[in-house]
Amino acid sequence: MSTLIATTNLKKHYQMGQTLVRALDGVSVTIDEGEIVALVGPSGSGKSTLLSLFAGLDQATDGTLNVFGQNLAAMTGADLCLHRRRNVGVIFQSFHLVPTMSALENVALSMMFAGVPRAVRDARARTLLESVGLGARQNHRPRELSGGEQQRVAIARALANEPRLILADEPTGNLDSRTSREIMDLLTALNARERKTIVFVTHDAPLAARYAQRTIALFDGSLAVETGV
Amino acid sequence: MTVNDTVHLALRNLRQAKLRTALTILGVSIGIASLCGMVSLGVGLQDQLTGQFLQSGVFDAITVTPAADLRGVMAGGPFVARGRGLAGGDGRGRGADSRPPAAPARDLNDAAVDELRALSGVRDAYPTVNVPVQVTYGNFSESFTANGVPMSVRDEGAFRTMTAGAFFAHDTDSACLLSLAAAKRINEQDPKALVGKELTLSYASSRGTAPDSGGAPASAASPGLAPEAVGAALPGLMQIQRVSITCPVVGIVEREVGTGPFAGRGGGAGLMIPLTRAKAIERENVTSVQALLRQTSGTSPRPASYQMVTVKVAEAKATLEVEDKIKTMGFSAFSLTDALEGAKRVFIILDIVLSLIGSIALAVSSLGIVNTMVMSILERTKEIGIMKAIGASDGDIRRIFLVEASVIGWIGGIAGVALGWLVGRAINIGANIYIESQGGTAATLFLLPWWLVAGALGFSILVSVVAGSYPANRAARLEPMHALRHE
Repeated sequence: MSTLIATTNLKKHYQMGQTLVRALDGVSVTIDEGEIVALVGPSGSGKSTLLSLFAGLDQATDGTLNVFGQNLAAMTGADLCLHRRRNVGVIFQSFHLVPTMSALENVALSMMFAGVPRAVRDARARTLLESVGLGARQNHRPRELSGGEQQRVAIARALANEPRLILADEPTGNLDSRTSREIMDLLTALNARERKTIVFVTHDAPLAARYAQRTIALFDGSLAVETGV
Repeated sequence: MTVNDTVHLALRNLRQAKLRTALTILGVSIGIASLCGMVSLGVGLQDQLTGQFLQSGVFDAITVTPAADLRGVMAGGPFVARGRGLAGGDGRGRGADSRPPAAPARDLNDAAVDELRALSGVRDAYPTVNVPVQVTYGNFSESFTANGVPMSVRDEGAFRTMTAGAFFAHDTDSACLLSLAAAKRINEQDPKALVGKELTLSYASSRGTAPDSGGAPASAASPGLAPEAVGAALPGLMQIQRVSITCPVVGIVEREVGTGPFAGRGGGAGLMIPLTRAKAIERENVTSVQALLRQTSGTSPRPASYQMVTVKVAEAKATLEVEDKIKTMGFSAFSLTDALEGAKRVFIILDIVLSLIGSIALAVSSLGIVNTMVMSILERTKEIGIMKAIGASDGDIRRIFLVEASVIGWIGGIAGVALGWLVGRAINIGANIYIESQGGTAATLFLLPWWLVAGALGFSILVSVVAGSYPANRAARLEPMHALRHE
C-alpha cells in the first residue's frame, strides 16, 4: 500500500491571549491509501487540529505534511484551496450544511466551485443522495432533516468531487448510537467499495475500535500511542 | 466557478435577505435619483439657454458691418460715411476686436454680399434690412420695424416649426410673418387666427406709388410716420406720399428668428417680410434716413449699400476662421461664438456643482451598501467557512460578494434613473403649468439624455462595486477554520 499522508515533526502553535497554545507539538505519522484510521484522544489533545491540517483548512507552524506527495506545510492559500477542492472530502460533527440550500444544492455546491456544469452536477448530486439513502429528501433544507440525514447529506457532499481521502471530524458526535452506527457503516462501505482512505476523529474508543483498522492516539499535542499497526 | 454560477449564487443570497436588499437598493436609487435629477436639471437649463441662442441663429452667424474707423467717418462726413463707407478713408479700417485685418475698408453693397456668400465655409450671406412701417388691422394700429427675411432661413430654427401657417412662398410676395408675441399684440384672444388675414402696412414713399400694383396711395398721415414734416424740411426736392399695401399674414413663428444678432429685440419687432420686398420698400421709404439722404444728395443713383450683412457659416466651429477672412476683406465682423464658449464653461461648472450636490446622497447610500455587505459577512461567516472548506477559492468568495454589490448597484441605478426621471417630469409639469399661467412658453427644465442614463447606471454600479470591495475582500480573506467556528 502506498503512503497517502506522512507527517514529520508536525507542529501547530497559536497564540491565545498571552498564552502560546501548542495544539500539535511534533507529530510524525503515516497513513496509507485505503486505510480507515481513527484519531483518538481527550479534548484538547490535537486530534481535530491534525485533521484540519490534513484537510488543508489550516496551516502548520513547523514540520512537514505530505498529502498525495505534496507538502501542505509549504503551500500557499490558493494551492490549499485546490487541495480541498480536489483531494479531500470533509465531514464535520455539526454537519456544516448551508442552511438556506436544499440537500441537493448543498451536495452540488462543492461541484459548482470545481466548475462542473449544472446539469452534470445536479445529476451526480442526485445519484450521491440516493446512494446515502436520501433519494426522497433531495429538496429538503437542513432544518427539515434529522441529524443522521444531515450527516448523510454531508457525506454525499464530501464525495461530490470524487476525492480519494475522506476526513471526518467527530462524524457521529451529534448522533444517537443507532444513527452513529449507520453513518460509520456508510463510511466503511465506501472504503470497502471504492477504496477511499478514511481518517476520522472520535473520542469514542469503542467506535474507533469497531470501525478503524488503525488508531492513532494523541495526548497534549503529541503522539501517545498507535494501535493496529 | 463560472460567471453564471457566481451570478446565480449572488442573486440567491440577495433573495435570502429580501428586506435588507430592498432597503439598500432603495438607498442607492435615492442617491442615483438625486444625482440624475441634479445633472438633468443642469442639462435641461443648458439646453434651454443654448437652444434658444442657437434657434435665434446667433452662433452660426457673423455680423458684418462696414469697417468702422471714426477718423474716416469724421473726415468724410455723414454722406461719405453712408454712401461710400470708408472707401474714401485712410484705408486703415480695423475689425471690431483687436485682431488686425489691415485691408482697405469697403462699401457693403450687393457685390460685397455676393463676395461674402462665395467665401468657403459660408452657407449664406444677406443684408439686414429693417424698414419702419405702420401696421393697421381693424382698430389696431402700431408702428413696427419690418425685418427682411431671406428665403434661405426657411429651414432654420423657429421657421422650421412654425406655430401656425407656413413660410413665404416667394421672395417677392407681399406677405408677412408675425412672431407669436407680435400676433398677441394684434389679436390677444386668438393670435393664430391672424394667419390668412390681411394687415395693412403703410409707409411714406418718395415716389408716391406703391412698388406693386397691390398698393394704393394713402392721403391720411399716420401718427407713426411724418411725411409732412419730412416734406416740409426738404421743400421742392421730392413728392412724399403715404403708401399702403395689403399684406396677408402667411404664418406665425414662436419667436422672431434673427436675420442678425439683434433681430427681434426692442419694441415694434415681430414683423417679418421677404427680404427682396423689404429692400424694395427701403429704397423708397423716406423714413429711412439713408434713403432720404440718397434722394437729397442729388448724386447719380448708387448701388444700395447696407449697414449690416449677416453671414451664416456652414458649421459653427468655422465661425472664427470665416470672421477673420471677412476682416481681411475690409469689413468689420463679429460673432457671439466666444460668448457661447463662455456660456458653455459656466454650464460645465454648474453641472459639476449640481453633480456634487447630487453625489452627497449617493455617498450616503454607498455607505449603506458597505453596511449591508459587512452585515451580510457577519451573518454568513460560517457559510463562507463552509464554502471554503468544500473548495471555494478566495476569488470565488470575493466575486460572489462583488456581484451582490453590483446587482444592488444595477437595480438601484435603474430604479434611481426612473425615480429621477419621474421627479424631474413632475417638476417639469408643475413648473410649466406655472410658466404658462404667467404667459410664458412651456420649457423642458429636466432633460435626461441617453448619456446621462448610461452614465448614471455605470456610476451606480461603479460606486456599488467600490463600496462592496472592502466587504468582499474581508470575506475572501476569512480563514476557513476561523469562519467554521463562528457562531
